[in-house]
Amino acid sequence: MKRIFAVAIALIVALPSFPAAHHSFAAEYDDSKRVQFEGVVTKLEWTNPHARLYVDVTDASGKVVNWNLELAGLGLLLRNGWTRNSVKAGDKIKVEGFAARVANSYRAAPSVITTTDGRSLFAGGAPAP
Amino acid sequence: MRTLGSDAKGIAMKRLILVLALAGGTAPLLGQQPQQPQGPAALGAGVRRPPPPTGPSPRLPDGTIDLRGLWVGGGPSGERANLEVQGGLKSGDISPLPWVKDYLAKVDLQKDPYIWCMPMGVVRKSPLPWRFVAEPAVGKAAKILYLIEEGGTHSYRQIFVDGRKHPDDPSPTWMGDSIGWWEGDTLVVETVGFNGRTWMDRRALPLTEKGKVTERYTRLNMGTLERVVTVDDPDAYARPFTARFTARLSNPEDDILEFICNENNQAGLGAGTEPPREFPVVAPPPGAATRP
Repeated sequence: MKRIFAVAIALIVALPSFPAAHHSFAAEYDDSKRVQFEGVVTKLEWTNPHARLYVDVTDASGKVVNWNLELAGLGLLLRNGWTRNSVKAGDKIKVEGFAARVANSYRAAPSVITTTDGRSLFAGGAPAP
Repeated sequence: MRTLGSDAKGIAMKRLILVLALAGGTAPLLGQQPQQPQGPAALGAGVRRPPPPTGPSPRLPDGTIDLRGLWVGGGPSGERANLEVQGGLKSGDISPLPWVKDYLAKVDLQKDPYIWCMPMGVVRKSPLPWRFVAEPAVGKAAKILYLIEEGGTHSYRQIFVDGRKHPDDPSPTWMGDSIGWWEGDTLVVETVGFNGRTWMDRRALPLTEKGKVTERYTRLNMGTLERVVTVDDPDAYARPFTARFTARLSNPEDDILEFICNENNQAGLGAGTEPPREFPVVAPPPGAATRP
């Protein structure tokens, strides 16, 4: 497996809350807990009301945690050009987003997902139906 | 949207690249303000649709305006669904009775039934598409109209346009009892018999069992459907109010997709909240002032 360069950074940035979609973004995620990391996709759950992307992230101490990223629902992802093959297990991605309110739950709503081959995927985890 | 088969992969990939390029261009970066799509615009902000067509509304051989098509929007919608703002109302046009003000001050917004895969009800719309389906035929021959919704947790409504009246004492339901008739080119739909559980927007505006909702659907042109919604709920609001919304025609290749909300609903796990055990019937407490 490729060496993973991964950092999880929580930045305090004052941002207005996203209008999420099915769920209440403001209830589930904390817009002051911004996270940014790189990791390796372990699974894409191609489901409603939200698709979910699971990503192994190695922290500075070498500990690997599996983050659960809430994407948009399939209605928005499919209409945005996603398919269930847009991201696959083993893909290395960069993520920017917002962590869940429950501390250390390794859950986040991504606002940007970038693949290492340069594709930027509209994630919809934050602004979505 | 139709399923993309293997023969369509090339087109799909081009579309994906285009979408990704567009998404990349609008993706929020650190330090920048993310986009703030709201309401009916929320889906449009994520899905780059061409503008809806503007030609004349199609008509059926019997002269009726043809309401068929895949529509998006037409009601308070999205995380910030707000009947007053999105419905073009002025502040104060919606006049909650004192008991409703008390209720709204205390309500837990995380208990929005829709978050827990329950129906959105009649007034509110998800940003996902919906369509009318007629039985046994469209136009004036129709006896029942079905309104199929992808986003209302994949629910449907039935609207009886065969001249019947509402039952005297309808069994309360999420979608109520709907009858419809034509007034010129406008389809009027009157609904009563609600169960008092639905939220009319994300702020928890209640619609009680006494509520009556009248919708007036007018296809203004090929791509635009006006939906004027009057809510008359004497148990909750001092006066009736009327909100105006516009739905747009979706892309010709779009379709209703399956949306089984409960297959992987992880609501509450990020918030640390338990799923509600019930969706309470909202009604005036004993002795509360209501209007006749």
